[in-house]
Amino acid sequence: MKRSEPQRPGERLFALLLVVFAGYMFWESHAISGFSGLTTGGVMPMLASGVMVLTALVILTETIRKTRTAEPHPQGLISYLFPLRVVLFTVLVAVYVAAIPSVGFLPTSGGLLFVSIWALWRRGPVWSLAISLLSIGVIYLLFRVVFSVVLPTGSLWQ
Amino acid sequence: MIETLGFFATSWTDPYLLALTALGTFAGIYIGAIPGLSVTMAASILISFTFKWDVNDALALIAGVYVGGVYGGARTAILLNIPGAPSAIATAIDGYPLAQKGLAGEAIGLSTVMSVMGGLIGVLALAVAAPLIAEFAIKFTSREYMLLGIIGILLVGTLSGESFAKGAFAGALGVMIGMIGLDPMTAETRFTYGSINLMGGVPFVVAMIGFFGVAEALVQLDHVSVAPIKQKVARIVPAWSDLRRYLGLGLRSSGLGTVIGALPGTGGDIAALLAYDQAKRSTKDPEVPFGEGAKEGLIAPETANNAAVGGAFVPMLTLGIPGDAVTAIIIGALYIHGLKPGPLLLTDTPHLFWFIVGNLTLANLFLLVFGLTGIRIFTKVVECPRAVLIPLIIILSAVGAYAIQNNPVHISWALAFGILGYILKRYGFQVGPIILGVILGPMIDANYRRAMIGAQENVGTFLYDLVSHPISCVLTGALILMLVSQLPFVKQWRKGSPPDNHGPA
Repeated sequence: MKRSEPQRPGERLFALLLVVFAGYMFWESHAISGFSGLTTGGVMPMLASGVMVLTALVILTETIRKTRTAEPHPQGLISYLFPLRVVLFTVLVAVYVAAIPSVGFLPTSGGLLFVSIWALWRRGPVWSLAISLLSIGVIYLLFRVVFSVVLPTGSLWQ
Repeated sequence: MIETLGFFATSWTDPYLLALTALGTFAGIYIGAIPGLSVTMAASILISFTFKWDVNDALALIAGVYVGGVYGGARTAILLNIPGAPSAIATAIDGYPLAQKGLAGEAIGLSTVMSVMGGLIGVLALAVAAPLIAEFAIKFTSREYMLLGIIGILLVGTLSGESFAKGAFAGALGVMIGMIGLDPMTAETRFTYGSINLMGGVPFVVAMIGFFGVAEALVQLDHVSVAPIKQKVARIVPAWSDLRRYLGLGLRSSGLGTVIGALPGTGGDIAALLAYDQAKRSTKDPEVPFGEGAKEGLIAPETANNAAVGGAFVPMLTLGIPGDAVTAIIIGALYIHGLKPGPLLLTDTPHLFWFIVGNLTLANLFLLVFGLTGIRIFTKVVECPRAVLIPLIIILSAVGAYAIQNNPVHISWALAFGILGYILKRYGFQVGPIILGVILGPMIDANYRRAMIGAQENVGTFLYDLVSHPISCVLTGALILMLVSQLPFVKQWRKGSPPDNHGPA
């Protein structure tokens, strides 16, 4: 079967990084108990990471065989993997996750909803606020009241 | 017999369970239908909410969501040409052309009735086959479980990805994640990097939420500006003549779907694609060519993917090996409730087995009711913009990850797994094998070590045991066959066998 499908941007570099990552995991697995026995805690991690190394090499070979679409460059990988929208949203989610323990679940979730809906939908702040409040209300009722799920509380706001 | 019937009818006679099954099925249809929400994602989040519930209540809800969700994907496949779930990819091929001809209502009606038929046949197969397999599986030793675990991970890699190497890499990565924490046999730390939080290991629900929920939300950001398409739906209930005409095809597809579903690691998506392929080959003169709105092309995948649900429960309940990603999550639910899926589940807790059978049957009947009603409201709900859905998925994932152990650190882990899953998906990796690796990895580890201790740590004896015991020998043969079939020259030799690649789910 000829592999004629085109490479994704940065795919070659990514495949190379996978080999390095798999090699590092094998080294880490070896550090658990070395080759001291066949039933030690490190055997299965070494087998699994060994499979990772082998398959990563196969993936690298497969990728090299694909039709090259652009010059391999770290920028290709970064722009393909991390478009601005994904980066900004991920940063927003990271801030949200970091803020939960202090600010509390409900206000942070409301904030995340409002900012995301406003930025992604572009229907105006009032519309976004209304949908965010409604969603938070439904989430609270459904999980806290109906399912009795413990929601993360914050040190500033319960 | 009377006792069995009583277990079977548990959820039929208890109003609360009846309501939970109905709610689950109803919600499942919408979850499966809304592009961006998946049954796997919903089931993994639901487990974290329901683990304090009674096991029957939790299972009633999750089984309902599963049955409804597998079907629900078909609706958006027909109406919008966007498969709501991977199992509906094949449905879109002929379902959407039918909708374009103004036959969306008829297509939905037909797919509903045939889905229910497939679902019921799958459950019947579960009821008949599971006790037989369980009786046989009691003879399994740690060697066989180790082999089954490896086969389970590899099957996903073989059948559902763009490359076997990527599937195997993902499975091995999952095994590595499953190894994090204290080694249960020696209490050695593995990959904990001095973190106390990591010593307890990574709860697989957190990994699931990250890989299926957060990762999917990030992937969906690419489609955020796709405007929803509006559809008109008229007649829903299918014509009796149509049902009679396609009964044979429905039965064949149900059989195929059940068998594919029962193979460890394969689920409704593969069953649907294979059934579509089989229908295309076996239908000599369709009214309309396949791909242009052939009803056969709609019926075959829809019957098969729902039949695969019952099938997927067979290895899960009898061997403790998930049939697909959702049953992998249901295994997790059973573990959380202190139950151990495997051959002893049927002998120790027959009430649970027959409850699941009865509950799946009930969910299929609810599917018939909900499937044939409320289409107009439905079309409004699936038009929910992704800009609202994406942050909601993140919030639900955060609640789910937190609820397992009330530990806020798990939310950040879910986010990290989500980013990793997103990166892997962008390069054509499947996340399904990772989850199977996380669940099956510790099982393979424990059973390998037991088998090796049994062989007195002698590699020769260990390998000899693999081929000298009949069941191990068959499983080893299957494993070798799977590996050999992936060699490039063997692939070249087998002409035209691989189905079209439809990309990662």
